[in-house]
Amino acid sequence: MILHVNHLGPGGPGAPDWEARAGEVVRTLLELLAGGLVDARVVPGLRVHLDWIQYRANFRDPVTLRRAVDGAGQPLGLAEIAVDLRRADPAGLRAALAEALGGVTADEPAEAAAGPLWLEDWTPIRDGVIWRFNRLFWQRVADWEAVSGRRFEEALPSGRSDANHPGAVADSVAEFWTLLRDLEKKGQLPAEIFALEIGVGSGQRAALWLDRFRALDEERGTSYYPRLRFLLGDYSLPTLDRAMEAVAAHAEVVSVLALDALNPLRTLGFLRYKILHVHLTNVYDNLPHDELVRRDGRLYLVEVRAHLPRDRAAAVAAAAGLAVEALPPALDQLLRGGPEALGDRARAVALWRAAWDALRLEERLVRLDDVAQVPLPPGLDRTHLEDLLAEAPDDVRFHLSRGAAESFIHTVPLLHPRGYLQVQDIFVAGMHEYRQGFRGPGKLDGSVVNWVNGALLRAIGARAGYDVHFAPFRHRPGSRTSILYTTPRD
Amino acid sequence: MPEPILATAVVGSYSLPGWLERAKNDYLLRRLSRHDLDEMHDAAVKAAIKDQEVAGVDVVSDGELRRDNMIDHFTTRLPGVQVDLASKKFFYDFYDSVVRGRLPTGSLGLVEELRFLRRFTDRRAKISITGPLSLVKRIRNEHYPTEEAFALDLARVMNLELRELVRAGATDIQIDEPYYSGFPEDLPWGVRAVNALVDGVGARLSLHVCYGNRYGKPAWEGSYRYLFPAILDARVHQLTLEFARRGEDDVRLFKEFEPPFALGLGVVDVKSHEVETPAVVAERIRAALALVPAARLAVNPDCGLVHLPRDVAFGKLCAMVEGTRLVRAELGG
Repeated sequence: MILHVNHLGPGGPGAPDWEARAGEVVRTLLELLAGGLVDARVVPGLRVHLDWIQYRANFRDPVTLRRAVDGAGQPLGLAEIAVDLRRADPAGLRAALAEALGGVTADEPAEAAAGPLWLEDWTPIRDGVIWRFNRLFWQRVADWEAVSGRRFEEALPSGRSDANHPGAVADSVAEFWTLLRDLEKKGQLPAEIFALEIGVGSGQRAALWLDRFRALDEERGTSYYPRLRFLLGDYSLPTLDRAMEAVAAHAEVVSVLALDALNPLRTLGFLRYKILHVHLTNVYDNLPHDELVRRDGRLYLVEVRAHLPRDRAAAVAAAAGLAVEALPPALDQLLRGGPEALGDRARAVALWRAAWDALRLEERLVRLDDVAQVPLPPGLDRTHLEDLLAEAPDDVRFHLSRGAAESFIHTVPLLHPRGYLQVQDIFVAGMHEYRQGFRGPGKLDGSVVNWVNGALLRAIGARAGYDVHFAPFRHRPGSRTSILYTTPRD
Repeated sequence: MPEPILATAVVGSYSLPGWLERAKNDYLLRRLSRHDLDEMHDAAVKAAIKDQEVAGVDVVSDGELRRDNMIDHFTTRLPGVQVDLASKKFFYDFYDSVVRGRLPTGSLGLVEELRFLRRFTDRRAKISITGPLSLVKRIRNEHYPTEEAFALDLARVMNLELRELVRAGATDIQIDEPYYSGFPEDLPWGVRAVNALVDGVGARLSLHVCYGNRYGKPAWEGSYRYLFPAILDARVHQLTLEFARRGEDDVRLFKEFEPPFALGLGVVDVKSHEVETPAVVAERIRAALALVPAARLAVNPDCGLVHLPRDVAFGKLCAMVEGTRLVRAELGG
């Protein structure tokens, strides 16, 4: 058995005694093993990970078993037990660990009355049902907020979005204005100055940015503001409507566009090489991803299976006036057609919220025979992946941030030769940082949040002609946000 | 055989296969021998020549597939330029290079490349070299008092290579100067350097100026108006420009200034994977013919095809040739 102690949790006054908790897990495990609970032959292939998940609300049980299988789904010798020390209940630890250990060699359980209520079959994370929930949230955010009684930004860990920080906005405006001035000095300033924000949130950031830009422009007497064409892009029409209200004072320079963050080029192809500034905040962390694991030199793709624990499923179904077995089709209907597809809108939103709250992901590791089997995101080829793996720890679990990569590679062609992309988000800036553990994914109010593999974006950027840099968000102490920005690669 | 009107040509580079890209990088990382890489280069060049011939291009090149990029192919061969071979990890990156003394003369090895090309085609064969201004902008100068002085001395050294190429049978030589568009203020000495470079070189000389194609994207934006009137002093037979991506507005500069050289008209966009139809190509040629006589017009892609997948590059060449044929037929050619 190999014990991985990656990241126990933040220390400081009032912090739990992580060492004691970790010690208790190890002691209990060794006792259970000594008690012969597991066939001794599987012990060498067993790995125990003491984790610390970034988000209190997430998709994992405090004690989770992950089994490895081959491409045909047949069990392999490798199995992992992950213990989220923050949430593991000391009183129930022995039982939870015993159950996990028992599962290492157990047959795949058939659908049982006492077992979890499955919402899907095994699938790569990118195709999982959680992304359908995520999409529904952004399309019907107003419905959700009407019931939750709070704006989605209040659900962020800090209670507000770093996107709207006046200092950050002022920095962004100053940077942009400086670029415009440089271009003007060289006689290269285009007649129309295009800027784009993708994923507009409440529109507050755009409003602040435009206020600041207009003020700076007037202060310096540069007359850039009237030439500005500020585009707000989002795939959620209700969100765009809300954002448009927020920027009403700048209506003459603002346009809204329904666009998919995964492929802005599809909508904005007519602006190829024309946009001087593209900004995104908290978009990449909310796009579908995959996860890869390397153990003993072999690569595994993480597959998931969404479910509701049986007791939670029973409660959710009862509250909705449904039989438990009727829940999966009802949720499918909800995800396809929105709350109104279930008739009573209020009850449908209540069901949606309760199901999201109860949703869990079981995980398994599917062995890949070769790097060529990795589902590479757009813009990344096998050579780059091999380079990334070369700089990664030998034992590692990392994000294959497919959605972020897709968005990036379909955004940079919009940039003017002197233009730049700026992304405010939570990044793992280098593969070596995964040595600290794997912190995610998490649940926000109704959406998915996950760390973004910045090293992967750096590799993709280099190939596309951009150097990718990361700067810490310096406006809020303790913020985990970083700012990605591009410079044209020489 | 008489020369066709509206002769079609590639600008220089052809689609770089993914496997060759990996091999170049493996060589850089010492995972592949020079011998093996050279064999791969030979095979890729033969295939590139064949693609151009099958597409029906009149003036073909070796696809520039032996080159890491348009700069390093020369900095690593120019005697007197010191190159830090540890300074790049990806073949397409630029080496750090510096000149610390007057450049000695010496061969750049282009004659061998020309001979290989001519061995595998009977068509007119073009060889491209990077111009002095563009090289000066990439090599750190720690010797010459000015960039112009550096460029003129580079031209002196490279002129000998061009003359050697002509002696070896070169008929078509192109000078690539994309950095003109990035440094329009330096154009007057850039043109003087080109003239020094081609002095006494008895070949059809074309000068290619684009807005950059590094990583398949433009490096600058603007109008070709900056070229005029300084470019009129360039002692070349053709100026090869990009229009398909940028639109044809600047073709009118050839009407306005009536330069002493022909126009190489870019008719396919090398920064888009969408393959133009022959009809679109023909329409672009017709639009240019309204301003420039056919006798002073040649047809080519906007720039090199290196960043395009092979099927797209080949499709664009076929469309270029077919579109040109449509117009030739209308002209009775």
